[in-house]
Amino acid sequence: MELNGLSIDQAPPLSAPIRFFVTAPLFGLIAGILMFFNDSSVLMGRFAVDSIVIAHALTIGFLGFTMLGALTQMLPVLVGAKMPRVEFVAKYSYILLTLGLLSMIFGMLAQNAIVTSMAAFGLGGGFLMMIGSMAIALKGVKNFTPTVKAISTSLVFATLVVFMGLFLLYSYIVQDINELHMIIANIHSVWAVFGFAGILIIGVAFQVLPMFYVAPKFKSFCKKRVVWLISTGLVMWLLFTLFKEEWTLFAKLWIATFFWAFATTVWLKLNKRRRPISDVTVWYWRTASIFLTLGSFLWIFDEYFKHEYVVMVGILIGGGFIMSIMVGMIYKVVPFLVWFHLNGMGYMSIPTMNEMISKKLSYLQFGTFLASLIGFVFAFYVPELLQISSLSFIISMLLLEYNVIAPILVYRKILKTKPDFDMSAFK
Amino acid sequence: MSTIKEFLTSDHGRCDEYFADMEKNATESLEGAKESCEAFIHETEKHFQMEERVMFEEFESKTGMTEGPTAMMRHEHAQMRGLMAQMLEAIEAGNKDKFFGTTETFMILQQQHNMKEEQMLYPMAQQHLSAESDRIIDMMSSLIVE
Repeated sequence: MELNGLSIDQAPPLSAPIRFFVTAPLFGLIAGILMFFNDSSVLMGRFAVDSIVIAHALTIGFLGFTMLGALTQMLPVLVGAKMPRVEFVAKYSYILLTLGLLSMIFGMLAQNAIVTSMAAFGLGGGFLMMIGSMAIALKGVKNFTPTVKAISTSLVFATLVVFMGLFLLYSYIVQDINELHMIIANIHSVWAVFGFAGILIIGVAFQVLPMFYVAPKFKSFCKKRVVWLISTGLVMWLLFTLFKEEWTLFAKLWIATFFWAFATTVWLKLNKRRRPISDVTVWYWRTASIFLTLGSFLWIFDEYFKHEYVVMVGILIGGGFIMSIMVGMIYKVVPFLVWFHLNGMGYMSIPTMNEMISKKLSYLQFGTFLASLIGFVFAFYVPELLQISSLSFIISMLLLEYNVIAPILVYRKILKTKPDFDMSAFK
Repeated sequence: MSTIKEFLTSDHGRCDEYFADMEKNATESLEGAKESCEAFIHETEKHFQMEERVMFEEFESKTGMTEGPTAMMRHEHAQMRGLMAQMLEAIEAGNKDKFFGTTETFMILQQQHNMKEEQMLYPMAQQHLSAESDRIIDMMSSLIVE
């Protein structure tokens, strides 16, 4: 039986997950600036270099970083096994991923083969190092809960997505964008969104929603079958894409149905939650649920419009669903980790989680983020909206960065001033 | 009769209900939540003592592991007791922000703790103590909170 997760030092050091959370909004900021200086007619094409760069600043830089940071922290709790050499892995994979992503952004924009090659090295190395370490942690698990199954499945998809991504980068390096590139790009994006991020979120929601909001538990059918059913759908979709294109709609319907059902379930569970608190994280979950529903329907609808709306599907699902959940999670995890580590060191006079992040600023961040999402969707019809929406997105990322840093400043201040050792009251 | 794992897992759910009642009352009136806060603390304390005074003791004497998972769980119980005391202090002081800030921290800490118990410690305990399962559950059910 694995005992590492229950030892006194089970939690990885604060810096391991925190560096990912601090960096994520900065990549969001880069994406926002690139969008601001772009033209909506360019961004409507999914294969435009600018679209690809912005999409990856968000998917790898924001979503990927947040997911990896959260997994570093959560695996010991969810799985009971510490990732081997977690400090080393978190530090070096972070450096590789950051340099890799920056190289991808600049290399692709400048069409520089050497810099793009560095991107392939950094991103491939960083992701595989992290996934490999998690796979080793998961290998020793005896109690294979639905959440553990979902995390394992999503990591399988993640590995395949990374290899496909490397192939795609390679074709940019050698300047050979052929038909195979287009097919792989399509599989890469659909599996990344639904296979890696989607399945991971569903698996974690099984635990998190009933726990943090005292909401009703997910039904046993849902917990036992949904991940398997979605994975089957994704494999079916792959086979149809390769060999029977006219049937892909059926696989898409299959996948979208389960994600739509998940979105509805989340909404209903939040309605039935026993905790009356409505903080910004509840708003983020609700936003995610609405955008996932819209995105799932549009993904099907798009089939009848020669994939004209595929970028809009990306905004609805990637931005509205996945990103909303990630931001909501950051708001819960960061202040808790700061409290947890300080308390573990013996400090008692610690501000509560709600005192670490200003409520007003978190709602302002949510408002500017939501406004930017709606603006991006309508920028398809009113191109002038792109700039103002980008501006709103930039502000939301700056606010998020501030809200992430605020608890860290509390942490530093307490370590410096040691309030529990303050003897001034006795003078 | 249920297993040790089922018994203690369902007790976690019972404590969650008390927690939700307390928060619900506190949204209406912080002062009015004092009684439900005390009830919640009493029930949670009972759960902690069922573990510390019965199940952990049995587990430790059976396996010889006194510095392992049970030590970690006792440490987290101490952290949660500290937060529960702060909840009562916040009610006494009429400080709603402090109260909900503390309940939020408590909730995440406790759920993380419960998850570790339900997924690791309880299955281990069940495995080592299955022969005495009925006796241990009887002892836990009849425990009087000290």
